[in-house]
Amino acid sequence: MTDQLSKRVVLWGLVWFSIVTLSLPTVIIIGASFTSGDIIRFPPEGFSLRWYWELWQLSDFTNALLRTLYVAVICTLISLPVGTLAALATVRYRLRFRRSIQVYLLLPFTIPLVVSGLSMMILFGEMRILGQLWPVGLGICIINLPFMIWSVSASVNAIDPDLENAAMNCGAPPVQTFLTVTLPAVMPGVITGGLLSFILAFNEFLVSLFLTDSRTVTLPVQIYNSIRSIITPDLAAVSVLYILIALIAVWLLDRLVGLEIFLRSK
Amino acid sequence: MNPVVELTRVSKTFGDIRAVSEASLSVARGDFLTVVGPSGCGKTTLLRMIAGFETPSSGEIRINGDRVDVVPPYRRSIGMVFQKLALFPHMTAAQNIAYPLKMRRFAPRVIPGLVKQYLELVQLGGLGDRRPHELSGGQQQRVAIARALVFSPDLLLLDEPLSALDRKLREEMQLEFRRIQRELAVTTINVTHDQREALVMSDQIVVMDQGVIQQAATPQALYRQPANRFVAHFLGVTTLLDGRVVRVGDDGDVAVQVGDTVLQARGVGQALVTGAPVDCAIRAERIGMAAHGQPGLDNTVDGVVLQRIFEGDRVVYVVRVPALGDAVLSLFDRDADVHETTTEGQSVRLAWQARDLMVFAKQT
Ligand SMILES: Nc1ncnc2c1ncn2[C@@H]1O[C@H](COP(=O)(O)OP(=O)(O)OP(=O)(O)O)[C@@H](O)[C@H]1O
Ligand SMILES: [Mg+2]
Repeated sequence: MTDQLSKRVVLWGLVWFSIVTLSLPTVIIIGASFTSGDIIRFPPEGFSLRWYWELWQLSDFTNALLRTLYVAVICTLISLPVGTLAALATVRYRLRFRRSIQVYLLLPFTIPLVVSGLSMMILFGEMRILGQLWPVGLGICIINLPFMIWSVSASVNAIDPDLENAAMNCGAPPVQTFLTVTLPAVMPGVITGGLLSFILAFNEFLVSLFLTDSRTVTLPVQIYNSIRSIITPDLAAVSVLYILIALIAVWLLDRLVGLEIFLRSK
Repeated sequence: MNPVVELTRVSKTFGDIRAVSEASLSVARGDFLTVVGPSGCGKTTLLRMIAGFETPSSGEIRINGDRVDVVPPYRRSIGMVFQKLALFPHMTAAQNIAYPLKMRRFAPRVIPGLVKQYLELVQLGGLGDRRPHELSGGQQQRVAIARALVFSPDLLLLDEPLSALDRKLREEMQLEFRRIQRELAVTTINVTHDQREALVMSDQIVVMDQGVIQQAATPQALYRQPANRFVAHFLGVTTLLDGRVVRVGDDGDVAVQVGDTVLQARGVGQALVTGAPVDCAIRAERIGMAAHGQPGLDNTVDGVVLQRIFEGDRVVYVVRVPALGDAVLSLFDRDADVHETTTEGQSVRLAWQARDLMVFAKQT
């Protein structure tokens, strides 16, 4: 009896400890962002949307935000077809050198971001595309591709290998089979991977730091630049923006995929 | 008229594995053929070659008289129900059934009518809007059957679609399959490792072992006249005995020595010669058990009950017979009165007719 009790106490203690430590920074930052004072502090001084308004007024930040969105969209648009096809090809079809290809595709994950960032900076510099915005999206896409591939691979592994045979048996030529059966069946993984790519690109700091300059600076880099000068509550407001976007992504995931995965579980 | 499907010496090898070896068979229009054999004997491979998912290593496959070596699966008029059904999870039951119609370019205006008609044929009227995961195992089976049949294929292939079901549902679905198959008169090849299913459902049965067709015959002929030891053992509950031919008479009558006893028996298949080693087989239901010798039965031996297994409608006795070289025989008894009085360790007398003891030349 006491054993049971102490077990429960320990378990609940751990749960609450995790919840508090994980959410405390978020709570503090959200609170601080609504301050009406001039410095970040918790608990906030009064309540106002002042710093959100200030942020909105700062063209540096809004431009950086727009650029970040652009980069994230580029990254997602490249990840979607590349990641999906790579996952399908390596998991599904008996390619030669399948294992080596799999390892190769996951390679970016094992290389420190500093190294990838630096090498891409040099490469893009040589190609004379450094200073434009789209290569930032491409670079971030490359380093985050493993997440996309993993996500789709999980879906591919979950589908019955006879599903495509069934489609062909129903009279569907290979292209139709792919479009009407294979693709919808891996859709949950594609959506998850796509949202993941978007969020990761939105947050990516280190690689962006290497690939951007003052004209193409993205939001994470902009924030970094700001903390080096003065720390004002508008930074808290930006952080809240990030939290908001993450929440929207989770919500979307739940709406689009949570449902799908649920439907697919037999 | 051409058979719907005709296989001539078809083989398939995967590396060193010979999955199917020199298989020849043909199925007449409207027939229900079952391929039966133990796990891994090449049944699925055989079906996949007919469906076009695998290419034979050698031999030829004809469908309606035409060779199909280079015809891709989506150009063959074959409906298939897969081992794990392979219903499209993102489509409703009705969409699943409509899929082959769309892919085979049926006129859009006839599709809803056909879907409805086949939903009703498989008794799923009203469930068309459900996704596969919202249907029970038996209902999913029915969707898969409807999807395979809705475009009126020349041939229906069933790859053990019933093996995942519990026994009662399986027996129900066997009869259901048979009803639909008769109603539509569709030529069917069914694959199973369930001997009962094969006997119940088929016009013709093909028994396979290790990629080789052992025998092809009607269910009754197969059960009564097995071609070899494997077939005899595979169907029914059968005891196998090693023996030696003592005398060969007319009309297949033979005398064989098993252990210290000479038994009257019936030769099956290949001709037998005196002195040759043979396999003898006897089915459990052909052995009678009695306290005293039953007059009129050709063979009588004494034994001791090792095991007594109650199966409801019958009791299975496992009996050791010293006179047959300590052979262990299985037999059934349906007489409830005898069940009460027979116990393990008791001596019993077994008897059977000469024609029930089948003798096969030893296979090399
Ligand atoms: N793609 C393949 N590659 C290599 N070997 C294979 C392949 N497909 C089947 N085999 C082998 O061929 C043999 C026959 O397999 P098959 O699937 O036809 O058996 P089966 O009779 O359908 O068995 P089960 O009753 O278990 O479904 C097996 O030994 C199997 O391992
Ligand atoms: Mg099989």
